[in-house]
Amino acid sequence: MQAFVQPGFWVFVLALAGIYGIFALGLQIQYGVGGIMNFGHVGMMAVSGYSIAVLVIKYQWSFWWAAFFGVVLAAFLGALLGLTTLRLSGDYFAIASIAFAEITRYWILNTDSVTGGTQGTLAIPSPSGFGGYTDQPDKILTWISDLLYPIVGDEASRDMAMIFIVWPFLFLLILISSRLQQTSWARVLRATREDDDVPRSLGKNVFRFRLQTLIIGSVFGGIAGVFWALQFALLAPEDFLRIVTFYGWMILILAGATRVKGLIIASIFFGFLYGSTRFLEFWPLSLLSSPERAYLRVFLIGLVIVLLMVKRPQGLFGKRQEMVLE
Amino acid sequence: MNQSAKTSSGNSNSSNLDSVTLDVKDISVSFGGVKPVQNVSFSIKENSFTSVIGPNGAGKTSLFNLISGINKVSSGEIIFRGEAIESIHAHKIAQKGLIRTFQGAKIIKRLTVAENLMMAVKDNPGDNLSGFLKPKKRKAFELLARAEAMRRLDQVGLTKFADEYAGILSGGQRKLLDLSRALMAKPSLLLLDEPFAGVNPTLVEKLLTVLAELRKEQSMTFLLIEHDLETVMNISDRVIVMADGKIIADGLPNSIYENELVIDAYLGSRRKDA
Amino acid sequence: MSDLIQYLFNGLVVGSIFAIAAVGISLLYSVLRLVNFAAGDFLTLGAFITYFLSVTLELNFFFSIVVSMLAGMGVSWFLELVLWRNLRRNKAGTLALFLVATGVALMLRPIIQFLFGTETRKFNVDIFKTYDFFGARIAHTQLLVLIFASASILTIALFISKARIGKDMRAYANNPGLASVSGINVDRVVLATWLISGALGSLAGVFQGLVQGQFNNAMGESLLLSFFAAVVLGTIGDAYGALVGGMLLGLFMELSQLSIFFGGVPSNYKPVVAFATLVLVLLFKPEGLFGYRARKV
Repeated sequence: MQAFVQPGFWVFVLALAGIYGIFALGLQIQYGVGGIMNFGHVGMMAVSGYSIAVLVIKYQWSFWWAAFFGVVLAAFLGALLGLTTLRLSGDYFAIASIAFAEITRYWILNTDSVTGGTQGTLAIPSPSGFGGYTDQPDKILTWISDLLYPIVGDEASRDMAMIFIVWPFLFLLILISSRLQQTSWARVLRATREDDDVPRSLGKNVFRFRLQTLIIGSVFGGIAGVFWALQFALLAPEDFLRIVTFYGWMILILAGATRVKGLIIASIFFGFLYGSTRFLEFWPLSLLSSPERAYLRVFLIGLVIVLLMVKRPQGLFGKRQEMVLE
Repeated sequence: MNQSAKTSSGNSNSSNLDSVTLDVKDISVSFGGVKPVQNVSFSIKENSFTSVIGPNGAGKTSLFNLISGINKVSSGEIIFRGEAIESIHAHKIAQKGLIRTFQGAKIIKRLTVAENLMMAVKDNPGDNLSGFLKPKKRKAFELLARAEAMRRLDQVGLTKFADEYAGILSGGQRKLLDLSRALMAKPSLLLLDEPFAGVNPTLVEKLLTVLAELRKEQSMTFLLIEHDLETVMNISDRVIVMADGKIIADGLPNSIYENELVIDAYLGSRRKDA
Repeated sequence: MSDLIQYLFNGLVVGSIFAIAAVGISLLYSVLRLVNFAAGDFLTLGAFITYFLSVTLELNFFFSIVVSMLAGMGVSWFLELVLWRNLRRNKAGTLALFLVATGVALMLRPIIQFLFGTETRKFNVDIFKTYDFFGARIAHTQLLVLIFASASILTIALFISKARIGKDMRAYANNPGLASVSGINVDRVVLATWLISGALGSLAGVFQGLVQGQFNNAMGESLLLSFFAAVVLGTIGDAYGALVGGMLLGLFMELSQLSIFFGGVPSNYKPVVAFATLVLVLLFKPEGLFGYRARKV
């Protein structure tokens, strides 16, 4: 039980929760407002994360410009995905979005000379001979943890400094997103979630509205990718498997798809689930090896998704009423 | 609101009562071998009230889908106020002032009643993401939209439901909401798809009065689908009868009432229905 | 020339496996409007159960296949009773169906891993035995798969067109409302669909395991998008279409390696051919080869 009381464990949980909270926020605006079922969201995180690694290591860009470029690229790919496939009905779009993310991952996996292939970003050929990309932001992280040292002593860590960067961003994005969801723009989108033909026949360009939400969500996914890259300081293709998108979906349906506020609690729950299957050492977890724990995590996430959809489809914080109106 | 000024000036430009609002020229459509609309032609004059009647499956709704751009014609032309619209997007057609409703009143259940109306407002700056950066303008417009929505709800007696989910409304109330919503979009030509089906007779009378007033006061043009000829006998100045995707009769309500072909197509189907 | 025969033959083998897996997915979609994200893991399950029975317990190979098909049906039956039926009663939406199917996939994978381990497995069949056929090398396992898969495809096609329950399935898929008032037992139709797709999943898994020679617990999952490509190509919800789509996709993937196509697609890029097929069909003919759509702009 020791790990539970170790602050380091909770610090990791919170840092991860912040990153996946931003990730899920992207899905929230896409599905919760626009009704778009995007199952390839992980592709946006992969694209921006890898952009940073490649641009900094291989082309010696500054981290900040690379991060900016990564987010812009995610937005651009969101637009491309939308322009080509968003006119399809929901089922088809879901399949197309998965295909998009898989193609992205497959490209990363098989383009060794740029992305490092299966070995991850450490194998990216670098003029300086070193495969790291976080030097510049690390200075800020060190500065923050130095500031924290007088307060928390030896617990001051890089993870804790991450919290001070990620969470303000999460709150800022939640604020922007919830403001956006109070506009008439969001009202039209909520209408399209139920019926295309009505808003269209009232003069609303349904496709434009949908495309805009898809792009905004992709930007959120891209920002999450920046923080992911920063948190783990090393990327590999298997970090961006299909299941990662469903980490986001689990957070979203736990929170209730139309509720922004539940998202914070749901993200922390996810961070706890992820962290505990990774670090905790007490029985029965202590019997499992590290790959077995990874599988346990996958199982638990599957279980949570199934139980929620069967028992409480509106999520822990959603309104039942919105689900039952016929 | 500024766009109401725009609409009324648009109306005054073409206030000539004989001018043609909608001209449908020989349109057909086929879906995988089925031909719901075949070689249909007619034109509608400004400020007129035309009803399309016919048995189930006659192609009335398919015709509306073509005119409103929800589906595209396989052949033929549709001219709305001098402009060909048969190949432009549905939302663009609606922005030009051709607004339709749907059979069975498609209200948005998970928006409130007021939101259903406010959603339909034309040229809302808040509909654009750039409007997000101009909160003052956006909010001012929102207040006006809300005020107009409340006025419309008052007209049809739905004020007390303004902030309830539209999903709780009864069938008749949904029809009223549907009509009010279409009016929020400032139509010059309104296509109504079976607005009276499943509505109690008192409410039918009320709706008919509302439509007559709109026609008179706002010089709107109406094209309406109805299953039952008698309901629209008095309000219509022209009746088009469809069967099997074609127009089989077109004329004054009284002449249609006595038309042999119509009686065949109609009574035949009515017997089948019973 | 021998290259052409080789890839054509490989394509037929791969295609017949895709066809079997795709028809299960397409049938489920036609009846339940469910895109079965767990389909890939049912393949893995079938292959591992057959492995366990035939290699670990040294039982007869064909007997093991039959038992694995029964197990696939059993798992599907169980899920229908505890999950899908309830979701239908609650009028679950598209998203709920998608997510539950995914959740099932996510749970199935660790269970397979827990029961059978993560090691790479192979069946007790000589994977190196080959025949010479006009200069093409044809593996014994490929031949086995082609014969049994063709027989299975014929059986499926006959079953759907002739058997009473097959007809009911089609009727229900075409018009659920009409079918349920005309006396078709909906729960029975849905259950039958699940059983068929469960059995076909296991069968395709064994075939895939045979053709690959060795397999691990990621086998089915990695093929899922190829199956979707086959299903969409053959018109989603059209069972016969899925058979054709599967065969065509298998042929595309193998023939793309012929040197006349851009010097031949490298074999590790075969999945890209499936992705590309999926994307191109979605872009230019989302209704598939056998569907039509109303033009919507």
